[in-house]
Amino acid sequence: MSTVDHPSERLEFLQGTLEVLILRCLQRASNHAYGISQLLTQQSDNEFAVDNGSLYPALQRLLQRGWIDAAWKVSPNGRRARYYKLTASGKRQLAVATSKWRRFAEAMARVLAPEE
Amino acid sequence: MRELFAKLSRRQAPTENDVDSEILAHIELRMDDNIAAGMTPAEARDEARRHFGNALLTRERIRETWRFPRIDSFVQDLRYGLRGVRRSPGFALAVILTLALGIGATTAIFSVVYNVLLRPLPYPGGERLVRLGEVAGRANGISVTWINYRHWRAENRAFEEMAATEQADFTMTGRGEAQITHGAMVTPSFFRITSAQPQLGRLFTDADDQVGAPGVAVLTWEFWNKTFAADPASLGATLVLNGNPYQVIGVLRPAARVLMSRADYYVPIGPVVGRKISRAAHGSIGVIGLLKPGVTLSAARANLNEIMQRLALSDPGPESSHRASAAFLTESIVGDVRQTLLMLMAAVALLLLIACANVSGLLLVRGAARTREIAIRTSIGAGRARVARQLLTENLALSLFGGGLGVLIAFGCLRALIALAPTSLPRLSEMALDLPVLGFAAAVTIGTAALAGLVPVLAAGRLDVASALRDGAVGSGSAIRGQRLRGALVIGEIAVTLLLSYASAGLIRSLIAAQHADPGFDSHDLLALGLQVSLAEYKTSDQVRQFYVTLTDALRRQPGIFDVALVTCPPGAGDCGDWWYSPLDRTVLARADVPVTLFLAADVSYFRTMGIRLLAGREFGPGDRAGSPLVTIVNQDLARRWWPSPQAAIGQRIKFGGPYNEGGVVEIVGVAANVSQMGLDGEKPPQMFFPWAQDGAFPAFLNSASVMMRTKGNPAALIPAVRRTLSSLNRDLPIRSLKPFDEQLGATLARRRFSTLLLGVFATLAMALAGVGIYGVLNYWVSVRNREIAVRMALGARRPTILRWAGWQALRLAFAGIALGAAGGWSAARLLKSMVYGVSERSPITMLLAIVVVLAIVALAAGLPVWRATRVDVSRNLREA
Repeated sequence: MSTVDHPSERLEFLQGTLEVLILRCLQRASNHAYGISQLLTQQSDNEFAVDNGSLYPALQRLLQRGWIDAAWKVSPNGRRARYYKLTASGKRQLAVATSKWRRFAEAMARVLAPEE
Repeated sequence: MRELFAKLSRRQAPTENDVDSEILAHIELRMDDNIAAGMTPAEARDEARRHFGNALLTRERIRETWRFPRIDSFVQDLRYGLRGVRRSPGFALAVILTLALGIGATTAIFSVVYNVLLRPLPYPGGERLVRLGEVAGRANGISVTWINYRHWRAENRAFEEMAATEQADFTMTGRGEAQITHGAMVTPSFFRITSAQPQLGRLFTDADDQVGAPGVAVLTWEFWNKTFAADPASLGATLVLNGNPYQVIGVLRPAARVLMSRADYYVPIGPVVGRKISRAAHGSIGVIGLLKPGVTLSAARANLNEIMQRLALSDPGPESSHRASAAFLTESIVGDVRQTLLMLMAAVALLLLIACANVSGLLLVRGAARTREIAIRTSIGAGRARVARQLLTENLALSLFGGGLGVLIAFGCLRALIALAPTSLPRLSEMALDLPVLGFAAAVTIGTAALAGLVPVLAAGRLDVASALRDGAVGSGSAIRGQRLRGALVIGEIAVTLLLSYASAGLIRSLIAAQHADPGFDSHDLLALGLQVSLAEYKTSDQVRQFYVTLTDALRRQPGIFDVALVTCPPGAGDCGDWWYSPLDRTVLARADVPVTLFLAADVSYFRTMGIRLLAGREFGPGDRAGSPLVTIVNQDLARRWWPSPQAAIGQRIKFGGPYNEGGVVEIVGVAANVSQMGLDGEKPPQMFFPWAQDGAFPAFLNSASVMMRTKGNPAALIPAVRRTLSSLNRDLPIRSLKPFDEQLGATLARRRFSTLLLGVFATLAMALAGVGIYGVLNYWVSVRNREIAVRMALGARRPTILRWAGWQALRLAFAGIALGAAGGWSAARLLKSMVYGVSERSPITMLLAIVVVLAIVALAAGLPVWRATRVDVSRNLREA
């Protein structure tokens, strides 16, 4: 390869990836937007830059497709926040997308693998 | 239901308040974390705000997501589609041109169909307008007598209004050269029915419509412009029609006309026909009625029949059994054009179908090339529906271009159609690409996009993402699967092309047969002069007769003219008058069984001059004159219906008018061969000829007649001499027509020529499109198999082997398509029955012709790809593999 990536720059989301990651964040428990962004940053070892200008629209798109639900709840530290939770079809979508992404990533990796 | 509602409400946008509270909560939660990490509350708040970023922008973007999500993605798809079009202009051009051709042709034909069959009449309540007539037994569409009309109008309960009309051609003098003008005689109610308004002056009143009222005329806007140069001072001017003065009292506003569409002006009908007081005195009056809303046709007919039954009791006569007929104007105007138009519409729809199949095929090829692109889009989260929508939007973008271009093509086609169409096509002048037609074009465009895009979209829907991503080159599994679909499309195209070719070949053979049909006489070297003398100038039938005899004598002296004859209704002129008849040697026929014959008058030299063969008996002679025994010559068709041979008919006597109507008894003195009275491709119905000089059986209408001249050499060369001779006898006599008779007779085929030409054009277009389709599919087949062919050749296959293999692919498609098309053509042939002439609608020869032509097209289209297959570069392909 002729050019090398700069590890100090955070990764931009490919189109469609953020939605899948949000679904994954909600798999175990419902969460609010701030919690989702924290989870993403931590679990990707600070690789993903979660911009609220992308996160919120992505949440709206998931709401529109019926993959997540929103409801106001009180957080453990007593703040009222809007909690998102996976719906049944959201769970199915997560399973499908996970399998696809895994194959895609493998395919990418195979193609990009350094030649012998 | 409640569940659905819940689902819908769940997908509602958050309120402004929700959004603000959510963002605030987000910042506060961060603040809490910051304080827990040891910041001061002020530091924690600043950091949380900074960390959140631009809250205003986020709020705006949330709102945007909820605003018209579909339109947004539609625009995105469209932009993406257009980008794709720009990347492959060849593909786009092929699709757009194919669609434009299909949509253009369909739209042009539809605009004709719409105008003739579907467009509402340009009159308020036009759908309630009814054409009324009298019926008696087998005779239909008899004109209404003036007295019956008066009773109907006064006594009916079914109609809002009723009007009597009659077309009459008048000779107009006093304004330059004498000319024949088209008059319409109408009752004042006619203007109410058609809601005509005066531009100048006034319309008729009941006072104008009385016997003895001074002559008045209302001009059409067109005639006023043409003859009076739109001069407002023309009100009060005098029109001299057939020698009688008519004062111009009004000019109509310009308006579309369907009734009396040829009329130059209107005159009241009452003063002309009002003196007739017999219920059996027929002229040529047509009656138009405007039904009351909600009254059915059969109820109206029943109501008029009640009146007729009452009249039969109070005023009995020879026509007591007459009843009323009624048909919607919308239907009676269309007449027998419907069949032709529907056939053309079906043909052009088939053409559109081929265009669709072609575009489908093109999209499939392109889809195969884009398999990987679609796979990637699917794998990064685009749903299947989203991909389908994307593809449909792209197709729509292409179709819109195609449709737009198609409308332009339709515009050009329509102008050509109007120029070519026979003048007998109804409502020709109203034709335009207007809103309903454009709406149709839009619907066809969208429908085409959906139909043509369906197959490729379904194919993409079944796309196996993983294998598509894995497979390297084109030519792998999925591409070959697509090949089968494309093959099916091509088979369909060939089948439809064969169908159109078969129908077209049938019509072309019919046209040739009609053009070479034996008219029953010698139509070459014959000049025909059509005249109508003014009854004001020649007041008695003897004066009319004398004028024509003087004219024929003068023409006979003309060098270049061998012989001259007179006839009231020459071959090809159709029905100039029909009446009942019955042979006297039969038992009296029931009223409903009395047959009808065409009748006309001919002079002594008619059969000789025309070259009409006499099968038995003699021609008319100088002895057949006023006062001598009444005689007739019948045609073969009439004689065959009653007597075993033409000879057996001689000496038989016929009661003209049948047992129940007026008319004299005549003796048959000759039987003449049938002639093409109804046009070259028309039937040859029974005919009775009466001697020109005998006023016996029925009052003959001699004022309108044709002078037939047998010429030496080109008949057109004699036209100036004939004109001179005529004007030396009567300067004020307008010429109705003067042309070689071949030309006049050929004009009877105008409609057949028109439909044959159109169908031929469609079949040719279909062949071109199908050819392109076959070429595309085979070409792709070869490119996909380059490597396979190279391997085969490396293993020792020779070029002829490859040629056979590739050629077989083309032939397989062709045979399947031809089998399908032949079966379809054979079973749909009965739809052609009313349109073929001289050939069977199920003709193996026609089918064979069509198959040969289609095979030739396939060979032409397949030639290049098959040849390419044999020229595959073995070493290059194997190295790349």
